[in-house]
Amino acid sequence: MSDRLLFAPLPLRLGRRIRQTSTSLLIIALAWMLTAGKAQAAETGVQIYTRLCAGCHGGKGEGVANEYAQPLMGDKSILELSALIDKTMPAGEPEKLGPAEANAVATYIHEAFYSPIAQARNKPPRVELARLTVRQYRNVLVDLVGSFRWNNNWNAERGLKAEYFNSRNPNKSKREIERVDPQVKFDFKDASPLKDKIAVEEFCVQWLGAVLAPETGEYEFVVRTENGARLYINTQWANPVVDAGVRSGDDREFRGSIFLIGGRAYPLRLEFFKSKKSNEKTASIELLWKQPKHGLETIPARYLTTAPFPELFICSTPFPPDDRSMGYERGAAISEAWEQATTDAALEAAFYITRKLNELAGTKDDDAKRKDKVRDFCVKFTERAFRRPINDEQRKLYVDKQLAEAKDLESGVVRVVLAVLKSPRFLFREVEGSPQDPYNVASRISFTLWDSMPDKQLMEAAGRDQLKTRQQVTQQAWRMVGDMRTHAKEREFLLQWLKVDQQAEISKDPKQYPGFDEQTVADLRTSLDLFLEDLVRSEASDYRRLLTDDTLYLNGRLGKFYNAPMPTDADFQPVKFEAQARSGVLSHPYILASLAYTGSSSPIHRGVFISRSVLGRSLRPPPEAVAPLAPDLHASLTTRERVLLQTEAEACQSCHSMINALGFSLENFDAVGRLRDKEKGKPVITNGVYVTRTGETIKFQSAEELAKYLVSSDETHTAFVEQLFHYFVKQPVRAHGLDASTRLKQSFAGAGFNIRNLLVEIVAEAAMPAGITPPPAPANKVAVAKLPVTSTGAK
Amino acid sequence: MTHPQSRRDFLRSLGVSAAAMPFVWNLPGLGFAAQQQRKRRLIVMFSPNGVVPDAFWPKDEGDKFTLPTCLEPLAPFQKQTLVLQGVCDKVRGDGDNHMRGMGCLLTGVELFPGNIQGGSDTPAGWSSGISMDQELKNFLQANPATRTRFGSLEFGALVPDRADTWTRMSYSGPNKPVAPIDDPYQMFNKLYGSAKNQEYVRSVLDEVQEDLKKISAAVGAEDRRLLEEHASYVRAMEKELAAEAGMKKEVGHAVPELEPGVREDNDQLPKISKMQIDLLVSGFAADFNRIATLQYTNSVGQPKMRWLGIDEGHHELSHEPDSNKGAVEKLTKINRWYCEQLAYLAKRLRETPEPGGQGSLLDNTLIVWTNELGKGNSHTLDNIPFVLVGGGLDFKMGRNLKYNKTPHNRLLLSLAHGFDHRIKKFGNPDFCGDGPLDKLT
Repeated sequence: MSDRLLFAPLPLRLGRRIRQTSTSLLIIALAWMLTAGKAQAAETGVQIYTRLCAGCHGGKGEGVANEYAQPLMGDKSILELSALIDKTMPAGEPEKLGPAEANAVATYIHEAFYSPIAQARNKPPRVELARLTVRQYRNVLVDLVGSFRWNNNWNAERGLKAEYFNSRNPNKSKREIERVDPQVKFDFKDASPLKDKIAVEEFCVQWLGAVLAPETGEYEFVVRTENGARLYINTQWANPVVDAGVRSGDDREFRGSIFLIGGRAYPLRLEFFKSKKSNEKTASIELLWKQPKHGLETIPARYLTTAPFPELFICSTPFPPDDRSMGYERGAAISEAWEQATTDAALEAAFYITRKLNELAGTKDDDAKRKDKVRDFCVKFTERAFRRPINDEQRKLYVDKQLAEAKDLESGVVRVVLAVLKSPRFLFREVEGSPQDPYNVASRISFTLWDSMPDKQLMEAAGRDQLKTRQQVTQQAWRMVGDMRTHAKEREFLLQWLKVDQQAEISKDPKQYPGFDEQTVADLRTSLDLFLEDLVRSEASDYRRLLTDDTLYLNGRLGKFYNAPMPTDADFQPVKFEAQARSGVLSHPYILASLAYTGSSSPIHRGVFISRSVLGRSLRPPPEAVAPLAPDLHASLTTRERVLLQTEAEACQSCHSMINALGFSLENFDAVGRLRDKEKGKPVITNGVYVTRTGETIKFQSAEELAKYLVSSDETHTAFVEQLFHYFVKQPVRAHGLDASTRLKQSFAGAGFNIRNLLVEIVAEAAMPAGITPPPAPANKVAVAKLPVTSTGAK
Repeated sequence: MTHPQSRRDFLRSLGVSAAAMPFVWNLPGLGFAAQQQRKRRLIVMFSPNGVVPDAFWPKDEGDKFTLPTCLEPLAPFQKQTLVLQGVCDKVRGDGDNHMRGMGCLLTGVELFPGNIQGGSDTPAGWSSGISMDQELKNFLQANPATRTRFGSLEFGALVPDRADTWTRMSYSGPNKPVAPIDDPYQMFNKLYGSAKNQEYVRSVLDEVQEDLKKISAAVGAEDRRLLEEHASYVRAMEKELAAEAGMKKEVGHAVPELEPGVREDNDQLPKISKMQIDLLVSGFAADFNRIATLQYTNSVGQPKMRWLGIDEGHHELSHEPDSNKGAVEKLTKINRWYCEQLAYLAKRLRETPEPGGQGSLLDNTLIVWTNELGKGNSHTLDNIPFVLVGGGLDFKMGRNLKYNKTPHNRLLLSLAHGFDHRIKKFGNPDFCGDGPLDKLT
């Protein structure tokens, strides 16, 4: 659990705070003496602020060094803000301001600089020049090199093509079985796979097809066999990732790792052989994997296909991580480490390309036209890398000069690839042309949906100038939104929205939760994956299911642990089995267990998740370093009582009044996400109150009621729309107009909260610079017409 | 994002900054030169399928002996040559003789049981112990005074692209075979890749800078900052590379020039052999490593030495009976050709002065030429060929010695002791009885 998130140990900060308070007291006292005697009743908010607050907070809430340095900005409603000011301000002398005056100050600062709208108005965000993020860089290299190869469609048969041979090596004339195996997990024991046709002493099997990597990361492949086997992934067919061709000693499990990019399929071949005289009485084989941050499992059929796929170029150069300070990856900064990484990666790509040059350039060593074909390849490579046609001058610089100066053709290609991949035209987004330039529009569409370069169809549309209207853009977006790359990006978004990517391994106190082991965690992760995949790929792709779906994907093992009536060997299936309804991801046991301690639930973690991710509320780090109260020191208290005790201080309450109530709603789920109605002999209390940004008070009795409210709330819709926009576009949504977020939210609601539809709308917003076509009737237009939409505003 | 350590290291070694390392090699240690112990080096050269005894073993014992046909190419180095007869691979257990001959040659210990089936014996897996080359590498790398960039380099020539007991003689531990690099270009990249890469990067940075200026000029002021920052890093990189290129000139180590476009196929073996030997010698000159292996093909290797007028595969020929005079003649030619490679290696070492030290590289290097079998058609593990050349381990050279069925583990121990690595046992202790071989020094 990331305790640091909530209880940052900040002793220094604490010390400074105390000093600040005493200084500000002095200043406030002086200010009061100077103004004493004047009539205060008629004072306006701005006057009170100037008189009592500006000394510490600055004239425009920007903060004052050595006083209160943090700028005054946030998302509290005017009512919340005035209550807070009334109670706590001026620091140390809150009695100085009555409720009416506090309200006047709150109203003033909210409008002037405190609220997000005011912030946006004061400093209009703009679309900034960005380099490719690390994720984009890797994706682009895959697709750039891949664009010179054939491709295939993932929607073929699931499983692998299997051929069984009555021979030690795959000898076509001795092939006895040809079929599709959904997964590879066979124990032939001391028998033959096909009696009378295949000899029991010696045979071999070959499985062929492709494997899909659902997300980017390190994949570990495991082959279990007492015989011989070789596994090839993404190589055709040399350098096996797992080489168990030689069995030696007692090894029965063979492992190998490979870095794969998500949303893409990789060629797979598994050879398996039992050989005569090798004292091999029995035969068995199982093909397993460990997805990034998953448990070990037999590779399920849904990640396998019988269709052939070409090898892909995977850039494995390590990169420094991207800036995520805004909550999403941005290509906003560069560093020496990044320059070094882009150089290393360019070399890696250059050597790969020269090794495969004949294949990629469609030529042969003794081809009379080899030189011309290689030059053509270089020109196309440059254009695709720059995401636009190149002019004569660029062609001379990046291609002709490099080829001419090199001592042989291969060295020339290395130079071309290096120069192109180190060029700002490749490394930076849309550095050339106007925002309306069709190639820039094409790039914005593809980077939004895929974090990658435009594909052939998009480039052709740009070439025909058919990315001019909103309809043309959405048409392309609809075509691309069903692609595996979009699914992978959606999945990655949801996982970071759920903070799953930040979780350490989940483990629970075995005394309190016997049976909750690594396998349970792995199964729960699969259960979550299945739910998210179903949501993402379903026709309706209904956002509301995220918060209200009342089923859980369970297999037999999980069914046993969570008391669902199902056979213990059942495969994963959606189940509804409890009297009390589950509420989508909020009450998914994987999320509940990850937002909990090893021995108890954690309403604070759960409440922070609902506040931040679901409602999009901004929370400051806690003002003081607080260690959670140990449950055993307060043996008689329920978790709810203990959390209330811990956060009762005034300083905590500004945030915890909201966090606690939201988190308590899930108290009927324990640390492993199992239902409970009692804790320590006392009934569990799940009711609470939530105050919206607009000051509305919402009461709820249970998580189910809360979820029903959330799914209909404007705040949650806005939060989801904005987070999705930021993750996909990587630019502030307000840079696309102060009303862009509202517009998207309205179309989201209007289209049955279809996430895919929302993505298409987001593409349209991101790709279509304001001014080309009027967006559908925005309510009140704020002055945004001049906002530059791309970095190339100067024109 | 995590990556396998080895891959990361590989890419780091391609990197530009990390590339400074190869250029600081071998600067003579000025004040330290006198105190420094002389460098000691070992090369194990392997060729397969046994020998023709009559054409291989010298007749007379001692320091007056005539080189038979197969060993004639060593004539210029006879005074630095030591021939050991009667040294036998006594290791038994699982696997056929080709497998054990290979897998136990440098490890001196049995193979694990496994599924690799050859000939008529029981199947086997990998060796159950470390090989002497890797043992010595670890010994040298553990001491800062003898530590080098790689410690050891494993060269190959036409080693088939499959890992099994016949293709591996070097082991970093039980069940841990070390794959030789048989592609000279790959080896070149390993040794000099970073230097070459620097050249490439340098060659394109000017163009990138030029284009960068154009783009910057067209971008709004607020965004220009990012591009300018980028430009300054590119400039810094350019400067760093220029500085390193300057340093390279000063040190003046000649990076070997490889003939381009030599493919890995049978008929190219002579060229590949020469390229690998040149790289091996330049690696020693740069003190990248003190231990090297050079493995020609593999146990049961089948090169067809058409350049000698031989159209049959080597292993196939080696099974012919002694009565087949044609085959015997061809096998003699084949082993003589391998001896020519040994002689070329010795010649290149002798031509290269010991950097910062006395004499030539050959004076400080011991080459051990060996084989997995004594004789091809009998598959005997007795009388394994061991022909030693060079002054690296202070053995008394220029002799032909005859032992009486002595286990080769004792020779492996002698190699260790030659490096002052005073171990008592190596491999199967039953074969280490009396310690290092007598009569060597």
